[in-house]
Amino acid sequence: MPFSREPQVPGTLDKDGAGSPEADRFGGLVHAVAQDRDRTAFAALFRHFAPKILHYCLKLGADRSTAEELVQDVMLTVWLKAASFDPAQATVGTWVFTIARNRRIDRLRKEMRPAPDPDDPAMIPSSLATPEETAQMVQSSRQLQDAIETLAENQSEVLRRSYFLEQTHEEIAEDTEVPLGTVKTRLRLALSHLKRSMRDKA
Amino acid sequence: MTVPLHHPDDQLLIGYASGQERAGKSLLVATHLAYCPDCRRRVASYEALCGNWFEELPCAGDDGLDGLLDRMDGLLTAARTPPEPAPIELPPIEPVAAGRTCGRMVPEPLRSWLPDAIDTPTDDGSWREISKGVWLSGWERTLSGTTIRLLRMASGAPVPTHRHTADELLLVLRGAFRDEYGTYGLGDVAHYGDGTDHYAFGASEEDCICLFLLDGDLIFLDKDGNPL
Repeated sequence: MPFSREPQVPGTLDKDGAGSPEADRFGGLVHAVAQDRDRTAFAALFRHFAPKILHYCLKLGADRSTAEELVQDVMLTVWLKAASFDPAQATVGTWVFTIARNRRIDRLRKEMRPAPDPDDPAMIPSSLATPEETAQMVQSSRQLQDAIETLAENQSEVLRRSYFLEQTHEEIAEDTEVPLGTVKTRLRLALSHLKRSMRDKA
Repeated sequence: MTVPLHHPDDQLLIGYASGQERAGKSLLVATHLAYCPDCRRRVASYEALCGNWFEELPCAGDDGLDGLLDRMDGLLTAARTPPEPAPIELPPIEPVAAGRTCGRMVPEPLRSWLPDAIDTPTDDGSWREISKGVWLSGWERTLSGTTIRLLRMASGAPVPTHRHTADELLLVLRGAFRDEYGTYGLGDVAHYGDGTDHYAFGASEEDCICLFLLDGDLIFLDKDGNPL
């Protein structure tokens, strides 16, 4: 789950962020599911997201029947947890992605995914940062957003394949018909492009 | 300083956000996130990036999922919204321990993994002294190929020179330590690549205690730099 309940920096949402008609439509559907247990709204969410969840799980190595079970599992979570969706934190697409990610780690890897607990009193809240630190964080967050948006197309593609589809460098080279060395170079360039937006190390 | 200064690489943060990173290093990243509002924001940005990639996946028309939607109908009826989870019961902190640690507990998700409070006495058998003033915890876990332990350094005590064959990661849970690159305090992460020799020593009045992750072997070196 995204870290709900923490104030989010404006401009950190993805390109279909809050306010776009598409985001409002899906946000409205999730709201209808949460408030009214609206099955028509659920069916509309299912038709949009189920094929994506299926595709995602198949790409990550699930067989067809496991992938279908995962689709069912993720969509059932959407039905049950609709009230916890916060449009100020993430788009519906990102929220569904985080559910799908957690479920497939459980199911396909038989691993649990360690995550901080937002209710843990030992967690350091962002409100504890000094004004200087907060200003720096806002800036670093904007810089990262800029860095993500200005990634070269071929570098973004290598990141997507490597982290989102979990392909090895060799698989990426074969699928995209690019020499292995070029794949490694692009990945290195992409990561250093993102890293440049990290605030200065002390 | 209230927030960490030394963060995990973006490689680890994006791997954690996408789910590509395995459980061992994810435990360290997630525990750092509990200390670091800045990295929580970075991970949220990377989750949004993955969300965009997820949205770009095809909306296949003929994928036979209509039948699945029909079958879910019964599930939706049967599924009741689970009751609100009961408030988490925190393990009581003994007054003595609380005084010694300024009341700061190790945050989740690590706290649930640890068997005891981390600042147990060093002479109770739960710590193994590897050189004067430096201990490794008896507690040890292997998670997705990564060995996880606690490393404890008394003030000024140097960790013997060592080399490792793969990644070594440290996350400070108490006190501070120094290496050739700087000083690491609460919540800070130090990441050493394979094949590097480096030193570290406790740099706080209280013992420095770190979460210590190792992918490969740890080789201690003698004073001439030869493996022991």
